[in-house]
Amino acid sequence: MPRLMDMGLDKLNSLLLEMAQISESAVAAAIEAYSKGGKADEVKEWSFRLQSLHRQVSDLSMEVIARFQPVASDLRFVKSCFEISYGFYRYGRYALDIVEVLNMFGDLSRCDHKAVNGTARNTQEMIRMSVDAFARRDVALARRIRKMDDIVDDSYRQHVRSVIGQKKDMKCTLSAALILRYLERIADHATYIGESVDYIVTGIEPTK
Amino acid sequence: MTSRRALKDRILIGLTFVCVVIAIVPLATILYYVTVRGLPAISLEFFTKVTPPPSVAEGMGNAVQGTLLLVGLATCIGIPFGVLSGVYISEYGKNLFGRTVRFFGDVLVGNPSIVFGLLVAIVIVSPTHGYSVVAGSVALGTLMIPIVTVATAEALKMVPNSIREASTALGVRKWRTSLLVVSNAKSGVATGALLATARIMGETAPLLLTAGSSTLWYNGLWRPVASLPSYIYLFGISPFPDWITLAWGAAFILIVIVMGINITVRMLTRRRSDAGG
Amino acid sequence: MPVGSRDSGDGSGFAALNELGPGASPGAGIEIKRLCAFYGRKQALYDIDLRIPPNQVTAMIGPSGCGKSTLIRCINRMHEMIPDASVSGQILLHGVDVYGGSMDATDVRRRIGMVFQKPNPFPNMSISDNVVAGLKLNGVRDKGRLHQRAKECLEKVYLWDEVKDELKRSGASLSGGQQQRLCIARALAIEPEVILMDEPCSALDPTATAKIEELIAELKTQYTVVIVTHNMQQASRVADHTAFMYLGKLIEYGETAMIFERPREELTERYITGKFG
Repeated sequence: MPRLMDMGLDKLNSLLLEMAQISESAVAAAIEAYSKGGKADEVKEWSFRLQSLHRQVSDLSMEVIARFQPVASDLRFVKSCFEISYGFYRYGRYALDIVEVLNMFGDLSRCDHKAVNGTARNTQEMIRMSVDAFARRDVALARRIRKMDDIVDDSYRQHVRSVIGQKKDMKCTLSAALILRYLERIADHATYIGESVDYIVTGIEPTK
Repeated sequence: MTSRRALKDRILIGLTFVCVVIAIVPLATILYYVTVRGLPAISLEFFTKVTPPPSVAEGMGNAVQGTLLLVGLATCIGIPFGVLSGVYISEYGKNLFGRTVRFFGDVLVGNPSIVFGLLVAIVIVSPTHGYSVVAGSVALGTLMIPIVTVATAEALKMVPNSIREASTALGVRKWRTSLLVVSNAKSGVATGALLATARIMGETAPLLLTAGSSTLWYNGLWRPVASLPSYIYLFGISPFPDWITLAWGAAFILIVIVMGINITVRMLTRRRSDAGG
Repeated sequence: MPVGSRDSGDGSGFAALNELGPGASPGAGIEIKRLCAFYGRKQALYDIDLRIPPNQVTAMIGPSGCGKSTLIRCINRMHEMIPDASVSGQILLHGVDVYGGSMDATDVRRRIGMVFQKPNPFPNMSISDNVVAGLKLNGVRDKGRLHQRAKECLEKVYLWDEVKDELKRSGASLSGGQQQRLCIARALAIEPEVILMDEPCSALDPTATAKIEELIAELKTQYTVVIVTHNMQQASRVADHTAFMYLGKLIEYGETAMIFERPREELTERYITGKFG
């Protein structure tokens, strides 16, 4: 028989899954716009939607705590919901930032996209892992995200160094550096999401 | 349909009413006759004079004295032993022995009182070669014990267990806790004692076998003594109308005392239930 | 109430919440070793091993029939008041087994006080007599000392100001919450080292409950408190340590914060999140 609290918890879960899906699409659209050219205006709308959903998650978490006094795994879930929804919200926000770089810098079709695309692939993989780990509460998957973060960090540093060394075209260099930075931050948030999933299931606090 | 049921209703109510009337009739008749026949016999002399020679109606003072003496001594036996047995059954007797004692108590309460008289006649009257105040008191007292025991045990049963628990949890010794329980059942225990006293006041059969009768005032523990019930018997079967009137008077006095005790008990219990709520 | 620093969960470091103030007198820790309890042939507790730390509040939670009430009644030897009840194992108070030969059951109960689910002040005693009942019933007569102790204990439970002008009123004339505080004062008057509470707030309204919970938090500076509660939120509010029992076995025991944030046992998790049954 479902508990009174389960309605609130289920609603939180579906809000987060919606945010997961939107944020993943937003990042994909931003990267697509960088590689292929194009505008990706929808990312702005998605980012606002994510902001609104994040606020809903925040309000609903407070309501669940005030009304139902969750304990143990329920409590850990509600606490993590806020952190995880923030992570998805940030995905969307960085996707928007990438699109704004594209808008600011204009035509980047002659730049070398390899660096960014390489990092973007890994980052998007990490986003996928974080979404799946949350949806399935998969602790093993969640723990693998941190390892990937190390890869992304390395690749980010490597690419930044190579991009700086080029000095060929300021536009390409700067835009690539900015976008790589955003991708690296997205990867960090994916790691945090993985740690939150771990905490929900095992109760082990992430060692920050 | 409805009118038939209403009719059945009324017939049943009517029948019940008739039964009640039939039940009350003997009681009312007794009260009526005792008062009508007995009241004229009551005067100061009734209480101050002794058995007169036949055909002279004077007094039953010695019978009144005897009854008070016998009942008074009987309560000295009946109440202490009865209350303590009741306390034992309720507080210490949650075992086979306690249950057996309780069982015997219940049985003896309904025992014919003449049996107690017989027992005492054999045990005391025979060896001492005569009726005596002692024998009479012992008979009545022994008769009282089961009544008081059962009443006390019942009264103590009504005391909520929370009181025993609270006292025990404070590290109070068992006997002191039992005393506390009894003090909480004071009115119940007192009621039992009073009702038992009222009961033995009218017991005739045991006295006939133990205290006998006497035409004199009290003159010794080991001598027979007069009592109201025995005089009712003796004077009542006599052929002298004056004596018969005295017998009615004795009956009247007895009924007044017993009624008085019952009314007192009723007043005490009503006050308790008002206060307790 | 801020939670102090988390320790590693092995119970060795007690957080800021548990500091004893100056002049606080320490209560005693209790060690329960392999305790089994029986009602006749039916076993109610299975090999309970539990360490109750001194000057802390320890809560026992669990579904009905899990044995938590039985357990605390074993601690102050009230369990054996039930006919055919028996116990095996040890309960050590200051290292001495309360079931050992050297301790009398009444001695144990004088050192371990108990407060019951339904407030049970003695109905035929005044408020002040109720508080010092444990002393009076054990023979203390000195009126000055009794009055002093009554005042102290009533002050400790924050009842003094409410009743100081009506000390002679019957104990039963107070409200439910006041009665329960009176019972706590009564338990404190005999100066126990441990206070056991069997669902002390279940018969009270939320305001009275809150007052008693605050009182419990204060009491632990001077006494060791063990509280049985079926209200998990109460345990999480009031207790430093929580023990979860199920079907007579101790399933999990630890710091309250740990139990309610990340319990180790699956059964505990299911019970406290309400997924039982």
